[in-house]
Amino acid sequence: MSEQKVILSVKNLKTYFDVTKGIFSKKQIVKAVDDVSFDVYENETFGLVGESGCGKTTLGRTIVKLYEPESGSIEFEGRDIAKIRGRELISFRKDMQMIFQDPYASLNPRMTVGEIIKEPMIIHNIYKTDAEREERVVELLKIVGLKPDHIRRYPAEFSGGQRQRVGIARALAVNPKFIVCDEPISALDVSIQAQVVNLLKEIQEKMGLSYLFIAHDLSMVKHISDRIGVMYLGHMVECGPANDVYHRPLHPYTTALLSAIPIPDPDVAKAKQRIVLEGEVPSPINPPRGCPFCTRCTKATERCNRERPEPIQVGTRLVACHLYEK
Amino acid sequence: MALLEVNNLKTVFKTDAGTVQAVRNVSFKLEQGEALGIVGESGSGKSQMMYSIIGLLAENGKVEEGQFFFDGQDISPSNFTHKKDYDNFMRQFRGNSMAMIFQDPMTFLNPVLKIETQLVEPMLNHTDMTREQAKEKALELLKKVGIPSPEKRINQYPFEFSGGMRQRIVIAIALANNPKLIIADEPTTALDVTIQAQVLEIIDDLKKESNSAVIMITHDLGVVAKLCDRIAIMYGGKIVEIGTDKDIFYNPKHPYTEGLLRCIANPEDDNEKTLTPIAGSPPDLLNPPKGCPFVDRCEKAMRICKDFAPEVTEVSEGHQCSCWLLDKRAVRE
Repeated sequence: MSEQKVILSVKNLKTYFDVTKGIFSKKQIVKAVDDVSFDVYENETFGLVGESGCGKTTLGRTIVKLYEPESGSIEFEGRDIAKIRGRELISFRKDMQMIFQDPYASLNPRMTVGEIIKEPMIIHNIYKTDAEREERVVELLKIVGLKPDHIRRYPAEFSGGQRQRVGIARALAVNPKFIVCDEPISALDVSIQAQVVNLLKEIQEKMGLSYLFIAHDLSMVKHISDRIGVMYLGHMVECGPANDVYHRPLHPYTTALLSAIPIPDPDVAKAKQRIVLEGEVPSPINPPRGCPFCTRCTKATERCNRERPEPIQVGTRLVACHLYEK
Repeated sequence: MALLEVNNLKTVFKTDAGTVQAVRNVSFKLEQGEALGIVGESGSGKSQMMYSIIGLLAENGKVEEGQFFFDGQDISPSNFTHKKDYDNFMRQFRGNSMAMIFQDPMTFLNPVLKIETQLVEPMLNHTDMTREQAKEKALELLKKVGIPSPEKRINQYPFEFSGGMRQRIVIAIALANNPKLIIADEPTTALDVTIQAQVLEIIDDLKKESNSAVIMITHDLGVVAKLCDRIAIMYGGKIVEIGTDKDIFYNPKHPYTEGLLRCIANPEDDNEKTLTPIAGSPPDLLNPPKGCPFVDRCEKAMRICKDFAPEVTEVSEGHQCSCWLLDKRAVRE
């Protein structure tokens, strides 16, 4: 791992939202992403998992700069992009693109597939003539497994899986180095999910891309990712190689989360004992003072309530839990 | 005698684009205390099949053919001369003997009524309990589905509950009349994995406790593996394969079932490098294929598959599959 080059390095990233209602009420802040650090290597897929509301989508969107971070740094190829604006931001977006969850909402229904894929090329001024762009669109359509004559059609004429392919072609249009995939397969049928996952893998190999793959489907994340980060209530509680995290989870939350995955094998699934998590995720407006997980953790001590654990290196992994401190 | 018997169900929908043949000649049986999983992709007809049986089809939908027996009683629409009679009968019937759990609890719960009202009302309508008795039972049910401090929570409105808690309330309402059959249509799709596991456990416990039958409609093979005794695989409006959980997962016979199992990731397997997707997309049920619905995506398709629909072949006892590959009469080339 050490010889691999880091392409994205996120350090102490915080994204907060002000949710104060009315001008006289007390200031209320949602700490959607709170002090998250991790690296993504070149040509790697980094999977981000967690339950709804854990901040994984906010983290992804902050990295592509759709949200402004409160503090912290996002180093992309050695350059801090956390504070860039204007022209610089536009040129950065050429290297980092995004694929969205909902293939119905993320394509403009009034634009043809050709126009949709061409738009980023026009914005980033990549090709000089429209003929060149058109040629590239046809090429991209072939890469994502659509037909060249689909270029004049509208999104409404396509199925969910095909639309997601259009979304992928659009992301590829500017030859990015990094793609943030925000739940790209959640809205698709099982047989179509595998098609899209395979396509993403194939493109990665061909073009040397790095992915940040956000999903709540743990089985698929494990399948596609080299490394996984587990998020809970805005914090990254565990991060490490996919197989290690899956087979030997360290953090009590990861252990509980993994035990809840439905396994597609009746003998295993029926024999499997789940670790029961009591209660629910606390409100991010009023998170616990100590470890974010201390309210539901069976191994929590008095210290966990008081003191927030810092991520520590355990073998190949980073874990934020007091249990592993010496 | 089977609790539910469905014979040759055919359901169509009239749309502006034409007639959609949503469910095409489906037959199956469900025994008392059994959990049947119905698995299929969107548009495979799995939900509409269920809605046809329990009389909840949309206005433009119609059961063209088919007979359903519940506990020996004929509940098919053809048994009634007027649609009104059928609707009235089914309203009573559903409330007395079956319960439904839907994907989104908020479409089921009334946002402006307290939980108490929503729990007590069905009991008052379908039993001769007094309001006090019904409230007592309601509290008991809320406790059963794991809602903490039910005495306080019963006076709250649905918006004050989280998604997982709402689904528990729906389950509590569903259980109010001790149903013989619980129908769950994607009950955990909108929930997180840890909450999904909790809800599935509740359904499983209740099933064991009360010996109700469960029909679980889902696209998640992990969920059926956990909960179901038997599994039916639907494709293009038909049940293409049905059998025990072990038949379907360990000895699948239909190429679609095989394909479906190959394209899901099993997290237990580290050496799994690529998934094998099923190429193409499901058939358009406006113009369903004449032969086997899976023919266009099937790697093993033969000439006969295109023109003639395969008949049901009994693989072993209770394991049935509709595929020409299993039929000795089919000409191989």
